[in-house]
Amino acid sequence: MTHAHSLSLVSVIVPVGERKSPIGALYAEYKAALSTLGIPYELIFVLDGPPQPAVEGVLAQLAAHGEPITIVSLARYFGEATALMIGFEHAMGSVILTLPAYLQVEGGEIGKLLAALGEADLAVGYREPRESSWFQSLRQLAYHGLLRFVTRLSFRDLGCNARAFNRKVLEEVHLYGDQQRFLPLLAERQGFRVKQVALRQSKGDRHAETYRPRTYTRGLIDIFTVFFLVRFTKKPLRFFGMIGVAMGALGLLEMLYLIVDRIFFHAPLADRPAILLASLLIVLGVQVFALGLLGELIIFTHAAEHKDYKVDRVIQYAGAGGERAAPGGGLRSGEKSDVVSSSLSG
Amino acid sequence: MGKPSAYAKLPRPALRLTEKFGLPAPPKLSVIVPFYNEEDSIGPMHAAIVAALDPLGIAYEMVFVDDGSRDATAQRTEEIARRDPRVRFVKFRRNYGQTAAMAAGIEYATGEILVTMDGDLQNDPADIELFLDKMAEGYDIVVGWRHKRQDKLVSRKIPSKIANWLIGKVTGVQITDNGCSLKAFRGSLIKRIPLYSEMHRFIPAIASIAGPRIAEIKVRHHARQFGSSKYGLSRIYKVLLDLMVIKTVASFTSRPLLWFALLCWPLMIIGSVALIGGLFAAQPGDAGMSLPLTGTGIIFLGASVMLLASGTLGELIYRLGDVRPEDFARLTMKSNASHKVPK
Repeated sequence: MTHAHSLSLVSVIVPVGERKSPIGALYAEYKAALSTLGIPYELIFVLDGPPQPAVEGVLAQLAAHGEPITIVSLARYFGEATALMIGFEHAMGSVILTLPAYLQVEGGEIGKLLAALGEADLAVGYREPRESSWFQSLRQLAYHGLLRFVTRLSFRDLGCNARAFNRKVLEEVHLYGDQQRFLPLLAERQGFRVKQVALRQSKGDRHAETYRPRTYTRGLIDIFTVFFLVRFTKKPLRFFGMIGVAMGALGLLEMLYLIVDRIFFHAPLADRPAILLASLLIVLGVQVFALGLLGELIIFTHAAEHKDYKVDRVIQYAGAGGERAAPGGGLRSGEKSDVVSSSLSG
Repeated sequence: MGKPSAYAKLPRPALRLTEKFGLPAPPKLSVIVPFYNEEDSIGPMHAAIVAALDPLGIAYEMVFVDDGSRDATAQRTEEIARRDPRVRFVKFRRNYGQTAAMAAGIEYATGEILVTMDGDLQNDPADIELFLDKMAEGYDIVVGWRHKRQDKLVSRKIPSKIANWLIGKVTGVQITDNGCSLKAFRGSLIKRIPLYSEMHRFIPAIASIAGPRIAEIKVRHHARQFGSSKYGLSRIYKVLLDLMVIKTVASFTSRPLLWFALLCWPLMIIGSVALIGGLFAAQPGDAGMSLPLTGTGIIFLGASVMLLASGTLGELIYRLGDVRPEDFARLTMKSNASHKVPK
């Protein structure tokens, strides 16, 4: 571990993007909640997107009054996951708490997350009971169903950004873009214990949100990325090969049928585009397969840096019956980086 | 000759371990055993290895890898490690599969010769002596062959026969029994071979990039005493694709572009034939050429261009990666010049 951090300090990271509550009220609510817990804390606000002078002004004023606030402003929109990673670089605590920049869950519920960390590396909140329109619920259901189908991991509310982590989770899981919502998924893949915690939804969160088509597209692409990362990172040919072989076989069959049809049954080819479709399919199949091979080449040439596995600890006792243990005397040592995290860091 | 490649750094976490923790000098032999839910096997396995190796009078160590077992395997291994300082115990955070366990074992082993074996007592540690003898003859890899295999015929033996034949045909490395975990490797060689996905079956095939001297010896094989078998029959397509990968990366180590160029030949030929046919089919005074034929020709020719582009991309990837052919050449070469291996 690289940072000299205090063991009891909780670092709260708040990425401030497009959607935000009035920052003064938000801070007051979070401060009230954190103070009742009786633990030392710091807040890190990461301002993501075009300059937000108003927000920055309020925060700077609070900081000037001695509030434990760190302000980091990014020059353009980088996405919530990047904001989170940047915030983490400034975090000193051994426990990291992320909270959304708008009131999503009631402040008083934060303690539940920290309490759940006792038996898990990562505590993820979900809003329960949740109040939303039928359209929202449907959207929610479809999204999580698709995700469960694709990754075979089940989570109830990935849109809820109130989460608590042990420091090492964020040290090992690297994210970019909008992937912060998938963090529990990726962390579980790396062998961390993840626990879901029911949190009461805040009143401010109860207005219906309308998404633009672009948001939906982004969501779908995100699901596809996670699908690929979770299932096929180390075996691109399994994925591309499957698609390539299927397309190529389809094309070959059609081509065969056309040839037989032309030669033995004298069916004319000229006035229909069937043969074009067949050759396109064959060619696409070959190319998708070739892409898979390129993927394999990337993995192969970088396999030495990206280990497939995570070592929990290495134990060896030196000397006959001696208590001097090496390395690390059964403590954590020799941790390896996992390929999932490495490939995620881009 | 020439300056060593910048990429030639050998990954040596094992050596770092010995330096960092002041462990004794690397032993001659490391025995690597992955365990997954083998709480009953671990004790007898350790005893059998000790009984087999102690009489040989060589320095050895055991690297036990716990692949995220859910039973008492980890606790029992730790107890054994407490009693026996020659045991290094590597515990995974969760289950990552046998290839990963083998790779971790290889990474954490410090011996000059590495022997891998299954944790289910089906291999006999008494055979290790034969492997050492064979290695002493100058081989780089010695592969076990379970010639009296104690497994079910239909579900295990026949698929594996087919797989072994196929692997031999495709990779050019003829090994009777790729599935036998009991193998011995020169440590410096195997530590440089990238191992990932489910490749442990193909280690000798992958290692063939370096052109090692490979020998086969017959080994004993016992029926399973404890636990249950963890492999099924449903792996044919995975094996096929993995084979494809190995063939490709092994060929790639010389020229990726060449490989793609070979792949692109048939497309180019079909495309040219179709295009020329389409052009000739057009009669003078006829307004249209044969659209399907010319169209097909154009599609195939276009695709071959794309493939060549992919091949060029492959060259680029390969240049930027850290697998260099010279490294592999260096691993297995023999030279009478007193030669400094770059650190």
